[in-house]
Amino acid sequence: MAVILIHPKTRVVGMVHIALPESTLNPAKAQDKPGYFADTGIPALIREMMALGCSGGPKQMVAKIAGGAKIMDPNNIFNIGTRNVLAIKKILWKYGVSPRTEDIGGTMSRTVTVSARNGRVILSSPGKEEWRL
Amino acid sequence: MASTRNNILKVIEEVKLLSPSAVRLLAVASREDHDLKDIVRVIKHDAALTAKTLQLVNSAAFSLQSKISDLERAITYSGENFLISLVMTEAADMIYDCDLAGYDGHKGGLWDHNLLTALAAKRIAALSKEPVNTNIAYTGGLLHDLGKAIISDFLKGSLTQLLASLEKGEMPDYAGAEEKILGIDHTQAGYALACHWNLPEPLASAMRYHHEPAKAPKEYRSLVYAVHLGDMVAMMTGRDTGADAMRYQLDDNYIDFIKITENDLAQIILDTDSDFCTLKESMEEQPGI
Repeated sequence: MAVILIHPKTRVVGMVHIALPESTLNPAKAQDKPGYFADTGIPALIREMMALGCSGGPKQMVAKIAGGAKIMDPNNIFNIGTRNVLAIKKILWKYGVSPRTEDIGGTMSRTVTVSARNGRVILSSPGKEEWRL
Repeated sequence: MASTRNNILKVIEEVKLLSPSAVRLLAVASREDHDLKDIVRVIKHDAALTAKTLQLVNSAAFSLQSKISDLERAITYSGENFLISLVMTEAADMIYDCDLAGYDGHKGGLWDHNLLTALAAKRIAALSKEPVNTNIAYTGGLLHDLGKAIISDFLKGSLTQLLASLEKGEMPDYAGAEEKILGIDHTQAGYALACHWNLPEPLASAMRYHHEPAKAPKEYRSLVYAVHLGDMVAMMTGRDTGADAMRYQLDDNYIDFIKITENDLAQIILDTDSDFCTLKESMEEQPGI
């Protein structure tokens, strides 16, 4: 899943690609690659952006999220996409941020491109026209 | 539609045969009771493969302090899975090099997807309730989607129609949509290729039933469930083959065959990603791969 944060005042744009909801599974991996997990990736992204001068903290940032394709699993094991979405929203909420736009779920893969020049977020999926988030 | 199916079957008949060593290696590696000595016996009769294996193990990727010139030590060091990946890359390069244009995929995407599926299937097979040889699950994963390379060209121009049919719910999954358009899906094409190559039954079953594991022959069902779930892991982590990504159903009866928890799955995703990066890095250092 992609979490995109945009700080309109400084025009700093950041994106993190999250694979799993929680880092408790492998703290060493989280140390090495915090972006892998929602609970370490989003704080790391916010820290990096604030270090680049994004004043006012995360509440001054615009969040967009994309991805989290769904696998229907009544055993509740393979639906990681849904768990990622919930974890990401919960963490953003703790920072006082709610996604301005989102394109989540469904049964397709998405590729996300962000323009650092204008903050535009473009999604694409094989066999489909690109669309804007 | 019947003529398209026949044309696809004709294409399969014309696919270059695997080398005798590759066929023997896959046959030996698909036996439940095989060991490393059996693998050594196959490789040592093929001078080119022996040279390639020694070259591989003595390359920078393995960071050995002193050179290895003994084949058995070299195979022990590289591991069976690495060797099979190497043999298959060379034996079926024309298939793995395919750009999967019919899936709006990209060159190398099929190899990456199959490799990640293989690595995940191996780890998942270790959680099988019935004993499954994890190395066979690896090889099954490595081959499972080769049918896509065969039918890809025939799907060109049908992608919009195919996706629309899926989105309207007219077909249960992408394989169903392939069959509706071509009269054959990638698993059936894969099985025909497996027969053409004379592949062992467990591997042919993984190619044929990885989207319908419940239909696999009883003796290979656990193995095929492992490949089915490995395929899901590969798609979930973005190593897919294009427009069909995530457009297949999970057979939730996997729980009767594979004892997996939410944490196991997350750990498999982490470990497989790490295995994948290591293996890719080592293989990319080999000339000609």
